[in-house]
Amino acid sequence: MKEYSIIGKPTPNVDGPAKVTGEAAYSIDITLPNMLYGKLLRSPYPHAKILSIDTSKAEELPGVKCVITGKDTPGGKWGLWRRFRELADQQALATDKVRFIGDPVAAVAASTEEIAEKALDLIEVEYEPLPAVYDPIEAIKDDAPMVHDDFPSNINATRHIEWGDVDKGFAEADYVREDRYVIEAAHPCAMEVHNSVASYDKGTGRLTVWTSTGSPYFVQQNIAEALKLREGDVRVIKPHVGGHYGGKNSTMPDAVNAAILSMKTGKPVKIVFNRDEEFTTTEHRTAQHMALKIGLKKDGTIVAFEAKAITNGGAFTGLGATTLFLTGTFITMPYRIPNYRYDGVRAYTNIVWGTSIRGFGAVPSKYCAETQLDRAAKDLGIDPLEIRRKNAVAPGYEAPGQYKFESCGIQACIEKMAVRVKEKWPNVEKDEGIGYCGFAYMSGGIFNWIDTPYAYSSAHVKVNWDGTVDLYSQAADVGQGHNTVAAMICAEELGIGIEDIRLHMGDTAHAYTDLGAWGSRETLMNGNAIKDAAGQIKQKLIDLARLKLGENIAYDLVARNKRIYLELRPERGLSYYDLVKDAIRANDGVPLTGTGHYTPHNKGMISPAYGMGIMAIKAKVDRETGHVTAQDVLVVHDSGQIINPLGARGQVEGSIHMGLGYGLCEEMPMDQGMLLNPEFVDYKILRTRDMPEIEILDVPTYEPNGPFGAKEAAEATIAPAAPALANAVYQACGAEFFSNVLKPEKVLKAIREKEKKDKESAKSKAPSKAKGK
Amino acid sequence: MPNYRCPMCRKICSEHLDLARHYLGQTDKKHKDWLKTQGLSYAALIKAQVTEFGNKGYQALADVLKKTAAEVNEG
Repeated sequence: MKEYSIIGKPTPNVDGPAKVTGEAAYSIDITLPNMLYGKLLRSPYPHAKILSIDTSKAEELPGVKCVITGKDTPGGKWGLWRRFRELADQQALATDKVRFIGDPVAAVAASTEEIAEKALDLIEVEYEPLPAVYDPIEAIKDDAPMVHDDFPSNINATRHIEWGDVDKGFAEADYVREDRYVIEAAHPCAMEVHNSVASYDKGTGRLTVWTSTGSPYFVQQNIAEALKLREGDVRVIKPHVGGHYGGKNSTMPDAVNAAILSMKTGKPVKIVFNRDEEFTTTEHRTAQHMALKIGLKKDGTIVAFEAKAITNGGAFTGLGATTLFLTGTFITMPYRIPNYRYDGVRAYTNIVWGTSIRGFGAVPSKYCAETQLDRAAKDLGIDPLEIRRKNAVAPGYEAPGQYKFESCGIQACIEKMAVRVKEKWPNVEKDEGIGYCGFAYMSGGIFNWIDTPYAYSSAHVKVNWDGTVDLYSQAADVGQGHNTVAAMICAEELGIGIEDIRLHMGDTAHAYTDLGAWGSRETLMNGNAIKDAAGQIKQKLIDLARLKLGENIAYDLVARNKRIYLELRPERGLSYYDLVKDAIRANDGVPLTGTGHYTPHNKGMISPAYGMGIMAIKAKVDRETGHVTAQDVLVVHDSGQIINPLGARGQVEGSIHMGLGYGLCEEMPMDQGMLLNPEFVDYKILRTRDMPEIEILDVPTYEPNGPFGAKEAAEATIAPAAPALANAVYQACGAEFFSNVLKPEKVLKAIREKEKKDKESAKSKAPSKAKGK
Repeated sequence: MPNYRCPMCRKICSEHLDLARHYLGQTDKKHKDWLKTQGLSYAALIKAQVTEFGNKGYQALADVLKKTAAEVNEG
């Protein structure tokens, strides 16, 4: 691997000091002169007609400045799947009917938050409850209540993927098994709840919105659609974000209603969700039913695979239709599957909608596929790591018409894992097991359902006379550390230090488009745009240096350590700062600028690059209580050239934390569409002391599509945690699981079932033994 | 070898099963309504496809398209 000055060096987060001292401003911290506070009145019914809304008493309450209902809104619908207009299904306030408990029906702006809350109690809404549907299998039945009138059988989206000859593959298999799963929902649980401040300037007709989002661009587009404004009249600013995890891609009613209230009152309006609203009305990981069929040869080679998914979409589309699409893709990775078929349907139901939570598409699907693979391995008498090695893809592997792996270190990851496991866990005690899971995940999505006409990512770099650099982009740091990565890439390309970089990120008025932080896209996509922009300036400086040095034109010059010099004669060079001054003088006094962009081309349907690897978890099962302890986690990861090892480690650890929570304790039980655990008292997440030790080993590769060879590091490692844990329990005691949350009562039940099955099996063998005598 | 044209749009496929895959991937009313004229239900075909292993939904539509889709000689 190439040695860089900045890339690959552990670098503290550039936002770290501001965050730990409390100086960093989040949208929740923003207070503007004369600002009002907004609150939303929400439906208590999962499905009901709105017969009437009387806001008169609320309007009379002192301090209330404005009350709106659906009829007071511009009525524009929005969504992230706007390429299909009928899937742009969100609206500011429900008009004809409500579709889930928490669907907003009215909004209030008042001088204080408390007055706004009181005003909500004074609004009288008359509903006519309608039959509701909560389960996706029920929802697609002919006689199911219709969540949206234009969608018969509540079919929101479908997806079919097929390659090879699947039926022939199964016919040729020595071993075929089928399994059915029910996978639970989970909440992203960001520390910072959804919140927005909107300020409309009646004089200019321009709207500014500060909001906690993963994509200022998406919010700008959606608000413009909802309010029927031009996109150029909507400015969205993303300050620091206190957690995203996929739950802040959609534009939510806080931003849109704050904007409407500001337009009506002429004053800034702030809306902050409380924790109950956050749990009950914002997006979560999609619950789903899955059915899998796998066919293998006796030696463990996969010859055919088929997957069916029915996902619980909830009331709206969000990025949930993308999740359906990706479920059918990531379930195949990182294995060679010659014959494959996937069918998925996303059903509208009367619950809050499921969407693109961290590792979307991969998390539920990998749980199912990897636990099934372990059962197949056991039946065939093959070691679980060996079956993964045997089927793992190699560089250049192409799933026909879908995706291609260019850099691909999975084989090396598995080999490294095999060696390290023997060293690390030479002995496995009674009731302990080691479970494995292979994984791969995209480095940004190629799909364009938002239908943007812009480059997927853009960046603008300006070099000032003193050598400092202003970097502008809409790319979003949502806590994953992209600001640091962006500064490192820009500094490396220009050969300067990150202390020379000033970041101006996440503001739609100051930068060209970037589609935001989702699908692990910022490092590769925004990184490429930054490198392109900075590279243009570097070239200008190199050209000037070549002129001034007068060296042989065949000699290569490099920008490093704040100098431009001959690569093979480092002593012959010029100061970066001196060159910048000369270049600006020569440029009629205009600062040096570069505008870079990136849009993937000819890279398949999914992503230009994939992070990948294998995870092992050692777990212990208490056979008396059913309690499962994840003792130790080992992950071997190919993230290409890692830009910031410190940040990458944080991302992997965070993913494992979320993944283990998904496997052990996080769930969203509902009764008639009502969430039963909408507080952290009842919604259990793992705490620091619950976390096992995590060892991360890297297998460096060079990804040709990424900046400096980089690819994703943020999400791939969430998917394998729950299946590796379930597989560890399976190895420890043979208990099988067909859903993800391994609560003690479930584990205990599975252990008892296994014991019963073993007894029956022993009994059935007994007569033949007697006969033998 | 003949190709087959979608009854509702310009899509051409070399096999009826591929044409059925195309057809059920369309979400517009025009495509869905034509199914009704053939005694088929969009929802029923999708359900057959996602609830059972195999290509049952597509095959049912492909059988209808065998009788109704126009043959074309363009590629």
